[in-house]
Amino acid sequence: MSDGSVAHRQTAEIGNAATPEDLRLFAGVCARELDAFEALYRLYHPRLARFLLNLLHRPQMVEEVLNDTLFVVWERSDTFRGASKLSTWIFAIAYRKAMKALRRLDEPVEDREADARPSDGDAPDAPFGRHRTQEALLAALAKLSPDHRTVVDLTYFHEMGYREIAAIMDCPVDTVKTRMFHARRHLRRLMDGELADWL
Amino acid sequence: MARILPFTVDPHRETRDLMPWLITGRLEPEEQARVEAHLAACEACSLELAGERALAGEVAELPIATGIGWAAMRDRLDTAARQASFVPAPPPVRRRFTMAQIGAMLAAQAALLAAAVTITLRVEAPIAPYHALGAAPAAVAGNAIIVFRPDARESDISRLLKANDVRLVDGPTAANAYVLHIPDAARAPTLDRLRSNAAVVLAEPLDTAALR
Repeated sequence: MSDGSVAHRQTAEIGNAATPEDLRLFAGVCARELDAFEALYRLYHPRLARFLLNLLHRPQMVEEVLNDTLFVVWERSDTFRGASKLSTWIFAIAYRKAMKALRRLDEPVEDREADARPSDGDAPDAPFGRHRTQEALLAALAKLSPDHRTVVDLTYFHEMGYREIAAIMDCPVDTVKTRMFHARRHLRRLMDGELADWL
Repeated sequence: MARILPFTVDPHRETRDLMPWLITGRLEPEEQARVEAHLAACEACSLELAGERALAGEVAELPIATGIGWAAMRDRLDTAARQASFVPAPPPVRRRFTMAQIGAMLAAQAALLAAAVTITLRVEAPIAPYHALGAAPAAVAGNAIIVFRPDARESDISRLLKANDVRLVDGPTAANAYVLHIPDAARAPTLDRLRSNAAVVLAEPLDTAALR
């Protein structure tokens, strides 16, 4: 069956560029094994959920976009050619789906609640904020554009290199560096009062 | 032959641009060498790096909550498979469940699960109804329940579950508990290990046999 050979080729081509576990599971997905897909789903769900929640800032949309993304992984597994890491391919699908979902909202891409959030005593984020710094950082992140937030999160939480991020966001590497630079500058300006606690 | 490229732009600018990936160790070796050489000689950039490390650490530590959505995905796959197997494609009338029905079933299941948890924890009574109604086709049955500390990090939880060969089956419930599947043979020692973890508030078996 060609599916199996595709998976085998992908595994051989990527070699050590991806963790063996997700590629092994993906080979099963190519062979239409539901157990393998469930395991891959569970492996990626936490990382994608974090990525999408940070990007979309709308919890009710996260599950929908996340499942849309992994549904594509299941349905279109034959379109992964092994040119990038599996995680890059999956995150790129998630990014495209998320941006499409944001556009569907027919509202500015900027977070409308951004201005209100910092002044709210008990924002929806409040339970996440163990410390004042984290609450301030969440508020500051909310003020960034989705693209800037995405670069920050992919860099510092998902620990991806700028080339991988450029592949996910389908933009030049210099754009990634510029977005990161501006995002950091904004965050550090917005976090000005907190910086003393950090250093 | 190693390629050592000189700074093509202002070295301060390039160092500041690349700093995030220096922190996460994702620069190419020659980029890293160039940036580190500049940092060794530039106090302003070194100060900036210290601030940037703090920011990076805070972002990485941000707890962003996530849920478990495999049940919804499984429903979607089943629906897709049914639609693919019917020729011609069935009209909406032939769908087996409406969204409202599915919602009602999920709500009922969640309510039963919450009730089962309460009974297990407080009364230690048999909870046979859970097995009858909670067993979705082909789904893995849960045999333990766990509650994590509210400030437990997702990465710690994930690592803990993987290390103990445990899978999340359902949850969070209204009480923020999760249902686990633990291989039967290893359940008691696994639960002991989970309980001893700082991120775990409670870990208990979920069937009547284990309660006796």
